[in-house]
Amino acid sequence: MQFSNLNLDYFSILPEIITAVAGVLLMLIDAFAKKGGRKIGPIFSIVSLVATGVAIVALWPRANSTSFAGMIVNDHLRLYFALVVVVCSIIATLMASQFLDDEALPPGEFYALMMFATTGMLMMASAGDLVMVFLGLETSSIATYVMAGYRRTDLRANESSLKYFLLGSFSAAFLLYGMALTYGATGTTNIEAIRQVLMAGKVIYPQMLLVGGAMMLVGFGFKIATAPFHLWTPDVYEGAPTLVTAILATGPKVAVFASFLRVFAEGFGAPNAPDVGGQLHDNWIQALAIMAAIGMTFGNIVALAQRNMKRMLAYSSIAHGGYTLIGFLTTEYAPVGFYMLTYALMSLGAFAIVQMLARQGDAKTEISDYAGIGFEVPNLSFALALFMLGMAGIPPTAGFMGKFYVFKSAWASSPNLRWLVIIAIVNSIISVYYYLYPIVVMFFRPQAEGFIKPRLTAMAQVALDITIIGTLYFGLFPNSALRILQQKAPAAQQIAIQK
Amino acid sequence: MSSSIVTITTFFPTLGAIVIMLYSIIQLRRGKSREEIRPHYRWIAFIVSMITFVLSLGFLLGFDGNKTEPQLVTKVMWIQELGVQYYIGVDGISLWLVLLTTFLVPGAVMASWTFAKRVHELMIFILILETGMIGVFVSFDLFLFYLFWEIVLIPMYFLIGIYGGENRIYAAVKFVVYTVVGSLLMLVAIIALYYLNTQATGVTTFDMVEITNNITAGKLVIASNFQWWMWLAFALAFFIKVPLWPFHTWLPDAHTEAPTGASVILAGVLLKMGTYGLMRFNLPMFPEVSYQAAPWVMLLAVIGIVYGALVAMVQPDMKKLVAYSSVSHMGFIVLGIFAFTDKSMQGALYQMLNHGISTGALFLCVGILYDRRHTREIEEFGGVAQRMPRYSTMFLITAMSSLGLPLLNGFVGEFLILLGTFSSTVPYAKVYAVVGGIGVVLSAVYLLWMLQRVLFGQITKHENEELDHLSIRERFSLMPPVAMAVIMGVTPMLFLKASYNSVSNVSAIVESQASRAAK
Repeated sequence: MQFSNLNLDYFSILPEIITAVAGVLLMLIDAFAKKGGRKIGPIFSIVSLVATGVAIVALWPRANSTSFAGMIVNDHLRLYFALVVVVCSIIATLMASQFLDDEALPPGEFYALMMFATTGMLMMASAGDLVMVFLGLETSSIATYVMAGYRRTDLRANESSLKYFLLGSFSAAFLLYGMALTYGATGTTNIEAIRQVLMAGKVIYPQMLLVGGAMMLVGFGFKIATAPFHLWTPDVYEGAPTLVTAILATGPKVAVFASFLRVFAEGFGAPNAPDVGGQLHDNWIQALAIMAAIGMTFGNIVALAQRNMKRMLAYSSIAHGGYTLIGFLTTEYAPVGFYMLTYALMSLGAFAIVQMLARQGDAKTEISDYAGIGFEVPNLSFALALFMLGMAGIPPTAGFMGKFYVFKSAWASSPNLRWLVIIAIVNSIISVYYYLYPIVVMFFRPQAEGFIKPRLTAMAQVALDITIIGTLYFGLFPNSALRILQQKAPAAQQIAIQK
Repeated sequence: MSSSIVTITTFFPTLGAIVIMLYSIIQLRRGKSREEIRPHYRWIAFIVSMITFVLSLGFLLGFDGNKTEPQLVTKVMWIQELGVQYYIGVDGISLWLVLLTTFLVPGAVMASWTFAKRVHELMIFILILETGMIGVFVSFDLFLFYLFWEIVLIPMYFLIGIYGGENRIYAAVKFVVYTVVGSLLMLVAIIALYYLNTQATGVTTFDMVEITNNITAGKLVIASNFQWWMWLAFALAFFIKVPLWPFHTWLPDAHTEAPTGASVILAGVLLKMGTYGLMRFNLPMFPEVSYQAAPWVMLLAVIGIVYGALVAMVQPDMKKLVAYSSVSHMGFIVLGIFAFTDKSMQGALYQMLNHGISTGALFLCVGILYDRRHTREIEEFGGVAQRMPRYSTMFLITAMSSLGLPLLNGFVGEFLILLGTFSSTVPYAKVYAVVGGIGVVLSAVYLLWMLQRVLFGQITKHENEELDHLSIRERFSLMPPVAMAVIMGVTPMLFLKASYNSVSNVSAIVESQASRAAK
C-alpha cells in the first residue's frame, strides 16, 4: 500500500456508502418511529437499494480504475457482480415484508441487517486487496448469522444460526490464515501486486504461498458451499426461515464468487509464471476441477433422495456451485457471472414460493405438502414449475442459457475441461429427475387435505414477477447481460494476450 | 409469398394459447362460471389450429421444389454474443412435416373435446406443443433447433401427467427422462460442432446450412474418431425419439397412458422429429460415419420391425397394439434412411407422413371406442360393425393404409423403402430388405386380426349392443386423415415432387462421401 497516494475517491465506493448509511438510518427509524417502522422499513430499503443500483450504473464510465491505494477496484467484474447483488437484495427485501408480517417478527432490524449484509457483499465485489475481501466477507456474514436465527423462539432456526455461525467462523479463520500466509510469502496483500510478484518469480517463501493458497481455497470453498466443504448447507438451509435461506443461497454466494474470482482467477491466475506461481496456478485449477466434479455429482445424487423442498434446494445449490466452478475454471468471469445471475433469479423465485406455501414457522415444506395444489394456486405452482425446469436446464429458461454458456465457454477454453462438461451433462440428466418431482406432486397427484391458499402481498407479488420475467427474459434474450460480461476479460487474460 | 409466413405460422398457436389464458382470466373475473365458458376454450383452440393449418398451406404457394436450400427464410441475428441466429424457413424435407403437424393438431383438439376438467390448460398445452413441433422442423439454426426440441417436451409431459390414465406419472417421467438423456448428449455434440466450426472458419455461428456446407466442402474437417462420438451423440437423441429398438421402451408406456389427443400428436409428429433429425444432421454432417454405421443401424431397425410386429400381435390392449405397431413402422423409416438411395429416402420421408396420418387416425379410432366403453381391451369388443358401420369403415381404411394396401398411402412408402433398400450399396442391405418385407406381412396379421376381433363377428358383450353412432365431431376428426390416406395413396407424385430435390441432395452427399472413402 502506498500511503503517499491514497487516492481517496469516495465516489467509487458510493454504492457501499449508500447501503451502509441506509442501514444505520433504518435502525434509527426503527428506534424513533416504532409504529410506522413496518411500513417505512421496506419502502426505505427498496429506495436506497435502487439508489445503490443507480450509483453502480453511474460508476460504469469510470470502469478500470482503482482507488484507496488499490483497496477498491472498479472494473467490470465489480460493477456486474455488484449489480447482481443489488438485484438479489431488492427481490429479497420485497419478499421480506410478507415474511415478517406472517411470522409477526420485529421488522426494524431485519431491514437494517439486510442493508449491512448488502454492504458487505458489495465490498467483496469491489475488493482489490485481501484485507478488503475479508472485511466484506465478515460484514456480510455477521449480518446473515443474525438473520438465520431471526425467528428467535424457533429451535430449528437457532440450531441453524449457531451451526452457520460456528462453521462460518471456522472457514473465515481458514481464509484469514491463508491470507496471512500469502502476505508472508509475497509481501503484499494487494491482489494485483501478488500477481505481479508471482509473474516476476519473486515469491519469498514458495512453500508458504502454496499452503496459503490451499487454505484460502478451503475458506472460499466453505463460503460457496461446494463439496467437500458443503456439510453445513442442508441443515442451515432447512432450519433458517425460508426467506433467509433464499438470501443465503443467492446474494452472499454471488459476492463470494466475485472475490473468489478476484483472488484466484486474477491474483493467482498466472499460468506461465516461473517457479511457484505456475505451480500454484496448476494446483488450484486441479483442486477446483475435482471440487466441481464432486460438488455436482454429490449434490445431485443426494438431492434425489430428499423429500423436503428446502433440503432438496440446498443440495441442488451445491450442485449448481459445481456447475459454476466449471465456468470458474475458464478463469474468465463471464460464465461465472452469467450463471450466478440465472441461478440467483431462479433460486430466489423458488424459495419465494416455498416461503409463501410454508405457512407460519415453515410448517409446510415437505414436497408432499404440495400435493395437488397445481390448479388451486396456478400462479404459484406454474411459477415453481418454471423455476424447477429452469434449474434442470430446460429451455427457454435462464437456467438453460446459463448452463449452455458455461459449457460452451469451458469446451472452448481447454480440452481438459471437456471431461467436466461431460460429467456436468450426466449430472443434468440426473437432476431432471428430482426437479420433476415437485411438478409431479403439484400437478399429477390428488389434492392433499387442509390446503389453505396463501396470501400474497403486492410487494411479494412484484418480487415473484421479477424472478419469473427475469428467468424467461434471460432464457430468450441473454444479450444484455452477455454484452456487459464480454466487455472486458479479466486482467490476467489481457496481459496474456499482450504477451 | 412473404417469408414472414413461417414465423407467423410457428407462433400463431402460442398467440392462441395466450388468448385462451387471457380469456379465461377476464371471463372468470367477470363472474362467469367455469362450466359456462368451458366450450369456448375448445372452440378457440380449434379455430386457432385450423387457421394455423391454413397458414401453413400458404407455404406451398411460395415453395419452389427445384431448390434444395431453405426457402421462405427469415434470418436475423438473435444472440449476437453467441452467434445464434433466428433462422427459420422450409426445405423439401421439412415442408411436409410442418404440414403434417398443422394437419394433425385440429384432430387432436377434437379428440380432446370430451375432457370436462382443466380444459383451458389442456388447450394451452396443445397449442404450445404445436409451436414447438413446427419450430423443430423450420429451424435452420442448431441452437434454435435445440430450443424447440426441448420445448416440445414440457407440454407433452403435462399432457400425459395430468390427463393420462392410471399409471400416468410413471409414463410421463419416463418419457421426459428418456428424452432428456438423448437431448443433453446432443447438446454436447452441438457445442462441440460449434466450437470446431469456429476454430476452422473463424465464424461463430450455429447456422446448420453453413456448417453442413463447410463439412461437405472440406472447410471443416473433423477427426475421424471425434466424428464417431458426435455422430453417436446426435444419433442417440434421435434413436430414442424415433424410437429405434432397443430404445423404445418409453413409447408403449407413454402411449397407453396418454389421452387420445396427446397420443395422436406423439405418434403423428413427435416420433418424426427423430427421423427428421437423422436426415437433417447425421447424414449430411457425418456422411462417412453414417455410411459405416449403416449396417448396424439397419440391423437395429429390422429387429425393431420384427420385434414391434410380434409384440403387437399378442397385445390384448388396442392402444398398446398400435403403439408397438409404431415401433415396427418407425423401423421401416430408419431402414429407408440408412439405405441412402434416392428411392429409399424418398420412401422414408413419405412413410413419415403416412405413419403420422394412419397412426394418428388409428389412435383416434381407438379413442372413440374408449370414450364409449372406457376400456381398450380387444376381447371386450366384437361385432362393433353392426352397431357402428360408418366408424367401422373408417377404421378399416385406416388399418389398411397402415398395413400398406395398394392405392392407400402406406403402400407407396413401404414399397419405395423396400425397393430402395434392395438397390442400396450398404452391406447386407438386401438381407435387411427381405426381413423388412416379412414385417409388412406381420403388420397385416396383427392389424387384420385386431379388426376381426373388434369389428366383426357376433356381439358378445351386451354393453356393445348400445354403442352410439359417431357424433359429428368424431366424424369430422376422422374424415380428413382417411381422405388423406386415399389421396396420398393415389397421387404420391403430388407430394414427392416438392421434396425430391432436397432428399436426393442428402443421399448424394452420403453417396459421394462413401465412394470417396471407399477409394
